[in-house]
Amino acid sequence: MTVELLAAAVIDACEAEGIKHMLTGAFAFNLYGIPRATKDVDVVLSVESSGPMERVIARLDPVVEFNGQVQFDTLTWGRRLVGVARQKSPIKVELFELFDDPFVMSQFERRRQLFSKQINRTTWLPTAEDVIVQKLRWGRSKDLNDARDVLAVQGTETLDMAYVEGWCAKHGTATRLADALAGIPPL
Amino acid sequence: MPNIHDDPAALKALQDDIYREKILRARKQTMEERLADGIDLTNNAFLRMLEGAMWQLGTADEAVGTMEVRRRMERLGRVSDEGRFANQRPSLP
Repeated sequence: MTVELLAAAVIDACEAEGIKHMLTGAFAFNLYGIPRATKDVDVVLSVESSGPMERVIARLDPVVEFNGQVQFDTLTWGRRLVGVARQKSPIKVELFELFDDPFVMSQFERRRQLFSKQINRTTWLPTAEDVIVQKLRWGRSKDLNDARDVLAVQGTETLDMAYVEGWCAKHGTATRLADALAGIPPL
Repeated sequence: MPNIHDDPAALKALQDDIYREKILRARKQTMEERLADGIDLTNNAFLRMLEGAMWQLGTADEAVGTMEVRRRMERLGRVSDEGRFANQRPSLP
């Protein structure tokens, strides 16, 4: 199964259950940065209880095998469920539950709608500023590279840097932001 | 021909040139084009992984190659998730 068909299946499952959602991870990054391959389809779901999530997983069962183990992000303790595409390419599907972290909520509220011809679906994605803030917060080397790439491609002159700096100050990631900006060569 | 690795400044300049080119290329694209490129890169990467696995294992059987790709992806996932995800929340004090 191609990654766009898998993304479409996840979007369809969320829409069928009436669940607000947002594609995140590399799909979001690729909108704003230097395109790269990914190994997963990451989606944030706004759910009040476990029932809706279980129904989404049930709808995806023909194409995605979920391992049933709820995991927690050690940075924010948000919940994640992971599945793998059943056919051919073992692309992962990661479903993140929206939870009451101030930035996570803000990012979701600010999400924007986009129609993708390749996915052949209208979907929701975060803003460039929120991708930068989130990547700096996670702070793995690939996340820091992604944040730098979005800053470089979008340009600080087009971004709401006050917004980015505000969240970085709250998260204690101002130094990471400075380092990312310093890593962009003169253009 | 001098070895660029012996000249850190020249190496950094080359790296910056390569990165600059990537940034400027991405800047010329629309959001939709960048998303589409990411999708194509992903699908092609998995095809390359399958071809590579089959070649390394000396098999023409795609199912065998796919199993090996799954095994490798599962290892990569463990590396990527190390320290980042836990199976339970810590107890509150």
